[in-house]
Amino acid sequence: MVMKKFLNDPNDLTPELLEGYCLAYPDKVKLVNDKIVMRANPKDESKVAVVTLGGAGHEPALSGYVGDGLLDASVVGDIFAAPPGPKVLEALKLLNRDAGILLIILNHQGDVLNGNMALDLAEREGIKVKSILTHEDIAPGTAAPIEDRRGLGGCIPLAKIAGAAADAGKSLDEVLEIAERFNNQMATLAVTMKTATAPQSGEYISSLPDDMMEIGMGQHGEGGGTGPQKIMTADETAETMVKKLAAAIDVKSGDQAMLIVNGSGATTLMEMFIVFRKAYKVLEEMGVKVAISRCEEMLTVQEAAGFQMFLGKVDDELLGYLQAPSNAPYWVTQ
Amino acid sequence: MSNSLTKSDFAAKISAAKKKIEENLEELNKLDAATGDGDHGTSIKRVIEAADTAAQGDASFKDMLTNVGMAVMSVGVGSAGPLIGSFFMGMGDAVDSEELDAAQVAAMFHAGVAGLQKYSKAQIGDKTMMDAILPAVEAMDGKVDIPVLFSAAAEAAASGAEATRQMTAKFGRARNLGERTKGHMDAGARSFSLIFAAFAEA
Repeated sequence: MVMKKFLNDPNDLTPELLEGYCLAYPDKVKLVNDKIVMRANPKDESKVAVVTLGGAGHEPALSGYVGDGLLDASVVGDIFAAPPGPKVLEALKLLNRDAGILLIILNHQGDVLNGNMALDLAEREGIKVKSILTHEDIAPGTAAPIEDRRGLGGCIPLAKIAGAAADAGKSLDEVLEIAERFNNQMATLAVTMKTATAPQSGEYISSLPDDMMEIGMGQHGEGGGTGPQKIMTADETAETMVKKLAAAIDVKSGDQAMLIVNGSGATTLMEMFIVFRKAYKVLEEMGVKVAISRCEEMLTVQEAAGFQMFLGKVDDELLGYLQAPSNAPYWVTQ
Repeated sequence: MSNSLTKSDFAAKISAAKKKIEENLEELNKLDAATGDGDHGTSIKRVIEAADTAAQGDASFKDMLTNVGMAVMSVGVGSAGPLIGSFFMGMGDAVDSEELDAAQVAAMFHAGVAGLQKYSKAQIGDKTMMDAILPAVEAMDGKVDIPVLFSAAAEAAASGAEATRQMTAKFGRARNLGERTKGHMDAGARSFSLIFAAFAEA
């Protein structure tokens, strides 16, 4: 099938989308040095800055979450490609402060390579920065080595917590500790029923037969799941996934949790609400209270059909940060 | 040729490597197409072009290597740019004068390997550019004559690259193909055998 997308020159996808995004929300975000999205109104330098990096093509992630109460900057790579280490260093230099910077890195080979490189370069320059690696994909099992556990949409609620803690005036060590606590009790599974096309080339990223779906395929539908299976109903899919997630982080009766259904791009909100409803009910039956939730497109993969289901165990402190005011274009809480 | 290596000598070697990569571009893309996405030649060309541009100018030898490293890291071609960039950055760590003897040249390349190994866990036998780089740098040890040092490195890199034909890929996209990668020379290792050959010829 010929790719049907509204595009200009495929080489200009990333600069054009970033330009459009910052023009659409000029009171909230601005584009600096071509590929760095920063808050339009930077916060006080006495507070810790929170930064992340990642490829484009996943809108609104990650730049959609730059704003008051959330990220200070996101460093953007080309489509599905990490930004180079020196570009990440530029953002760290721009945000350099005595309070320090937390760099959120998603566990993907390119992000880790370039993120670590930026950390080393920053150290040479005397910039105070610490990092946190998100790796909450449970597709390979929770006992799998960290290298095999990808960072999926969980980076967004984690950024919300870190951003709120930083804006509340917590120290770098405190922000890191709070974020790390959440990092260790969150889990995500991705399900795909139709994979996306890479917008630069029009090629499918991978393929699934028409009547099949696969749980655990990761951010881009690249694979690593439980294998293709016949498409299940919304309820069967939701129940299978939420039970795996609950087991992975050991949420039990009496616990509070955050539940997210994050659409991959081509799955309708209609389907997402139906899935969300079932996952919520399964948790309710287990005695788990869904204390905060989202059901929307957060981290997409072009026109992939599928969604990521996220479950995180929260306590009152983490919940407070998740509910704290924020004004990022794609996460507004009054 | 005098028995020392200056910044401009090394810049000339990088220019020679650029020419060599350009001459072999098609072969490199074809090698990569067998096990990867077929763009290695194009990627390595962009890397070496960035290195060549950054190697010009008035910086000290040490700063020139750092500039080359940063420029290469910034190219943004998958993992090749960052890894090769860290190789040059690492070299800069070992250089503190404007004229190096053979032992100092070997030390510079060993520091490059140390920079690279901060980010890559690939070892000999994993079918990556390391299969050319590691033997080449080992071969520099104990040499007192700089042209001899670079010839030994070029020979070792060539046989290292040749040996990757028998290997199964353990890193990168080719890893997913497993045994099917046997019989094909690794494009990254071939690139570095070309680069070390150019270093020896220049």
